[in-house]
Amino acid sequence: MHLSSILGLNARFQLYSYPSNSRRGRKVAGSKLLTKRILRKAEIPIPEIYAKFTTQEDIYNFDWTKLPERFAFKPSRGLGGEGIVVVRKKATRHSSSGQVEWITTQRTRVGIEDLKLHGMDILEGAYSAGNVPDNAFIEEFVGRNKAFRRYAYRGTPDIRVIVYNKVPVMAMLRLPTRESSGRANIHQGALGVGVDIATGVTTHAVWHGNLIRFKPGSKRKLHGIKIPQWNRILEIATACSEPIGLGYLGVDVVLHPEKGPMVLEVNAEPGLEIQLANIAGLRRRLDRVEGLYVESTQQGVQIAKALFASSFAARVRAEAEGGKTVNIFEMIKIQGGQGQKIEVQAKVDSGAWRTSVDWTLAEKLGLLKESNILGTRKVRNPLGEERRPIIGLTFWLGGKKISTAAGVSFRGHLKKKVIIGRRDLTGFLVQPH
Amino acid sequence: MFRINFEADVLLALVGQQELGSAWLHPISYAIRNALTQGVPIDNIVLLLLLPLVAAVIAASRHLIGLRGFGIFLPAALSAVFVATGPVVGIGLFLVIVTVSTFSRMLLRRLRVKLQYLPRMALILLVVVLAVLAILFVGPQIFGRRELAEVSIFPVIILVLLAEDFTRAQLGKSIRIAASLTVETLILALMSFVFLSLSALQEFALLNPEIYLLMVLGLDLFLGTYSGLRLLEIWRFRKLIRN
Repeated sequence: MHLSSILGLNARFQLYSYPSNSRRGRKVAGSKLLTKRILRKAEIPIPEIYAKFTTQEDIYNFDWTKLPERFAFKPSRGLGGEGIVVVRKKATRHSSSGQVEWITTQRTRVGIEDLKLHGMDILEGAYSAGNVPDNAFIEEFVGRNKAFRRYAYRGTPDIRVIVYNKVPVMAMLRLPTRESSGRANIHQGALGVGVDIATGVTTHAVWHGNLIRFKPGSKRKLHGIKIPQWNRILEIATACSEPIGLGYLGVDVVLHPEKGPMVLEVNAEPGLEIQLANIAGLRRRLDRVEGLYVESTQQGVQIAKALFASSFAARVRAEAEGGKTVNIFEMIKIQGGQGQKIEVQAKVDSGAWRTSVDWTLAEKLGLLKESNILGTRKVRNPLGEERRPIIGLTFWLGGKKISTAAGVSFRGHLKKKVIIGRRDLTGFLVQPH
Repeated sequence: MFRINFEADVLLALVGQQELGSAWLHPISYAIRNALTQGVPIDNIVLLLLLPLVAAVIAASRHLIGLRGFGIFLPAALSAVFVATGPVVGIGLFLVIVTVSTFSRMLLRRLRVKLQYLPRMALILLVVVLAVLAILFVGPQIFGRRELAEVSIFPVIILVLLAEDFTRAQLGKSIRIAASLTVETLILALMSFVFLSLSALQEFALLNPEIYLLMVLGLDLFLGTYSGLRLLEIWRFRKLIRN
């Protein structure tokens, strides 16, 4: 890859984030509460807000005992996931003073007093950039979608989609780890997993700037994870651009287990690690969609799928439609005359009409019994004509059982004793190399 | 020892020998001469003249190399402190202050003392001041370093106040990032210190302030519009390039 394909911090600011993002958009992106207000108006799904705190009185006057089992307590302008307390359930035992307590996703206990103090800290600006006074809010807890259960440690994974000129140009699944203590933040040690835009299937993974194949400490592959509702994710991410007023942005989408994709927050200067996770340069992709006239969200998503599909995308799409890919040479299982199964190498040959089996092999398997011969066919050879039997044949190719009428031929001098003709290849895709 | 020397006499003599042309071409030179005859110390003028360059150098190391540091103020202030105290004492004090503030913050958390942000910061400053007092008191006796006793109070106060910025910068970050940012800040400060103490540079800035300032201006403009990759980014994305 050429250096000019890669997006650096200088170019991100000067060529994309600064010229494409309005002042207002940047202001909105800086505040989660403002973002939510605008997204709700634009009818983009977001987690429900239970309470907002702008002054100390709000904290004192709020009835904390009315809070549900599970919720998230956040600063509006928090940086890098700091200052977020996520509560998973109510503690069964109450505190010594008899008050309600909750268990956080980090498995620590918090009581009402802790929450109030935390709220004060937030209002004081302990988590905001430059320590400017901030607002706090409590929102719906978004649990982990079951597709990610085995990959994420405790916290909720999210999907970062970079959108430019109303086209989703790159995406990354962010998986919390033990080290990131449940946060989906790359700089705190979460995993970044690249996602193919066309199919929503994961490709490569980075952890601390290094490419990895497995979830740390396990043998669980990180590539090939299919993200559910991919199209919807791309659409709602892309739809954020216009109402917020950002032409270049990163949208963080979570997958609610029941309600589907929701937007958590947007970012006017999204991180660059996504390039490593996708092993792709962002700058080149941005160049390709720059200046395109994109009419609608759907069109933007279509453009992205056409431009940025990975090499395996066509295969995945065909398989989603029920097709199965086979190579030219495949191991197949043949059922013998006594019902035994034998593995043999076969050649997939779409130039032949009928499947045929070597005479010696057929004889050995007991397939040339009178009862198995369905008929004969004429075959021309240099010495004239001869009649060869057509036999009943049952075999398994790529996990699919096929019962067919096969020819018998002399393939003794050839390596592959069976060729599979196109009569029996319906529903398969042949990989020609 | 590596210690800055403003050789005021040499610089003054150089200014005295210089023959200036039209005041239209050398307005700043004339202003400097005027200030000198009014009794403004030459070190002040040189330091002031070099400050834009230091800022530009810090900006350059961010935009061309990719060293982050804590903004432009912290390393620049640190380098000025180094000029005043000498680098060894300056770095020593700086490290002591950073360690003390970090440890007191961790201790507060460990002891589960829950304070609001500003009072907590004030408490940390109190501990830092105690530590600095202890050093100023004990240092000259134990280490026999005369410099410690002679250190003027303003650099020390700047250092103490920098402790807040450091603590705040550490807040949202892992220990590793905080540590690497601290090291980068130190590198930047030392680099700036070297620039401040190069006598050739001092002379050039003093004798040709117009050309010098225009060059700094040009550097700033170039840095502000540079959109290529930073050196450390090439390293960060090396796996992409190899692919």
